[in-house]
Amino acid sequence: MRLPDSVTGSFLVALGAAAAYGGWILPPVPGQPVGPNVFPLVIGTGLALCGLAIVFGIGHSFEEEEELIPLEHGQAVSPPPQGKLYGLRALLPPALLLFYVFAADRLGFIITAAIMVYVTTTALGAKWKLALPLAALSPFAIHLIFGKLLRVPLPAGLLPTPW
Amino acid sequence: MLKTLLEAFALISTWEVIIAMFAASVYGLVIGSLPGLSATMATALLVPVTFYLSPIAAIATIVAASSMAIFSGDIPGALLRIPGTPASAAYADEAYAMTRKGQAELALGAGVWFSAVGGIAGVLSLMILAPPLAEIALSFSTFEYFWLALLGLMCATLVARSSPVKAIAGMFLGLLVSCIGIENPGGVPRFTFGITDLFGGIEPIPALVGVFAVSQVMRAMLTPEPPPLPRRKFGSIMAGQWRLTKQYHWQMTRGNIVGIIIGVLPGAGADMAAWVSYAMSKRFSKEPEKFGTGHVEGLVEAGASNNASIASGWVPSLLFGIPGDTIAAIAIGVLYMKGLNPGPTLFTEKASSMYAIYLMFIIANILMIPLGIAMIRIAAYILLAPRSTVMPIIMLCCAVGSFAIGNNMFGVVTVAAFGVIGYVMEANGYPVAAMVLGIVMGTMVEQAFVTSLIKSDGSILPFFERPVAAILAAMAIGALLWPVMVWVWRKVKQPQAAAATSR
Repeated sequence: MRLPDSVTGSFLVALGAAAAYGGWILPPVPGQPVGPNVFPLVIGTGLALCGLAIVFGIGHSFEEEEELIPLEHGQAVSPPPQGKLYGLRALLPPALLLFYVFAADRLGFIITAAIMVYVTTTALGAKWKLALPLAALSPFAIHLIFGKLLRVPLPAGLLPTPW
Repeated sequence: MLKTLLEAFALISTWEVIIAMFAASVYGLVIGSLPGLSATMATALLVPVTFYLSPIAAIATIVAASSMAIFSGDIPGALLRIPGTPASAAYADEAYAMTRKGQAELALGAGVWFSAVGGIAGVLSLMILAPPLAEIALSFSTFEYFWLALLGLMCATLVARSSPVKAIAGMFLGLLVSCIGIENPGGVPRFTFGITDLFGGIEPIPALVGVFAVSQVMRAMLTPEPPPLPRRKFGSIMAGQWRLTKQYHWQMTRGNIVGIIIGVLPGAGADMAAWVSYAMSKRFSKEPEKFGTGHVEGLVEAGASNNASIASGWVPSLLFGIPGDTIAAIAIGVLYMKGLNPGPTLFTEKASSMYAIYLMFIIANILMIPLGIAMIRIAAYILLAPRSTVMPIIMLCCAVGSFAIGNNMFGVVTVAAFGVIGYVMEANGYPVAAMVLGIVMGTMVEQAFVTSLIKSDGSILPFFERPVAAILAAMAIGALLWPVMVWVWRKVKQPQAAAATSR
């Protein structure tokens, strides 16, 4: 998900401008010159200026030096397979979290968690022999810690836990 | 003084604190040793658990887990050349070179021993620095806080190992996030877009969990699995450490001091301390040619440095609510939750709690030696756990933990959203630590800023009138102009250099 600086910079300019405008239209506190509108205005302006600087490559000269420092050794042993959809795999974890938000109340914690674990494990390259037992057992372990010991009200849904 | 100390002892000698500390130590050692799981992430995932503990026990878990995780990141660094946490990245090559020379025991022993020494040096700095600073800070008005906050935010450029402009942009993004909600000077809903869940604002803790934990799982989806650890027999781990201490006592002290300074600076933490100290060690070494070939000197200095920064990072956090590093940023959230609101009065009103924090840091660092040795011996088994079993558990902890913070699903949405934000920022060279700084400090900055503006009634003079405010202002403006000046200087120098080479 490496985007050119001009794209991220422009996005920041737009976001900053929107924030500044959003601050501008907030109602002031009567009888007071400084209210809730000032801070977003300042931040929005700052953000937009930073965005502009990034678009025009100011401060970019600092970045070249950093390429020399090998940050993650050993991880580049085999080049990762490149496909069109390969990069989208990164979106799987947040998608699963959203799935949890929508499904947990209906399906219950155990089932939702089992699905999440199974999908994540398989996506990371494990065989079903590992993924299936893990998906079956880990939700109960987590439920024991959070639901039983820490009293987090986890939804029971279709499959209530035995405790 | 003695009475407070005794009270502090009473506070920490309960079973709850002892068990919490021991469990958190083991947890920190395991998470820190697994490549890709950082000390900050270990701390962030602990937060939901701390809800259900007493204030002192909650802080005990954070202190123990973070100290242990920073050390145990050295283990895969030395044995696999893959740092377990970013803080060990600076010297992973060196430690691995030692392992190949058959000195794995010495490298890992130096990791344990000098981490513990560094950690204790860090606590001493916290004990020595914090109370007098609190004394000064008691007389601070909003103007001083305003400049202090600005100075803290400017430190965002320090965490940038890339473009400082991107770091500042990240910091502004964090501040913008903190604007959301109705907690502002006018009490009006701001940037809520009519969504009721946003009225309470974005909770810092789920945001931090998302940025540090979910984004890490996202990265794991695209990177190949690290190789398994070869099993090996270790000799005596602590043998020769005392000789090293005597031989490199000056390097160790320098590492401690650098670590303490970097820890105190807002935003910059253990990884920065290790990089700077390792570079410094090489620069001032009598035998720099040995660096990179398995020489222990750099390990001593950087190992002493990164652990020293952990405790000293609590100095600005406890005093001003300005996070000394990303771990302290999480700690601040916990402190607020536990009614120990950061501020100079903490040192007078809750002095026994502060002493308890010091004591826990010292105990954690002493505990690190036996637990660390045990961890090194069983590391080969722990590192057998494939990533595909660890990451799903972390996902579940993220979901349940963020739900537990407010007992509502919006926390989970926040975690997911900030996972994506953190991932995209990191991939494009925007340091997430800068955004964290903004999120954690946002409310305080705005309060100091708006109150100061109201008090000054349109004039800018009061911002500079008080002596401390004037000094802080000068520092803040200097920090603001520094990157600009460097950039201009480079622009002026570049054409000259180009002209010189073309001639």
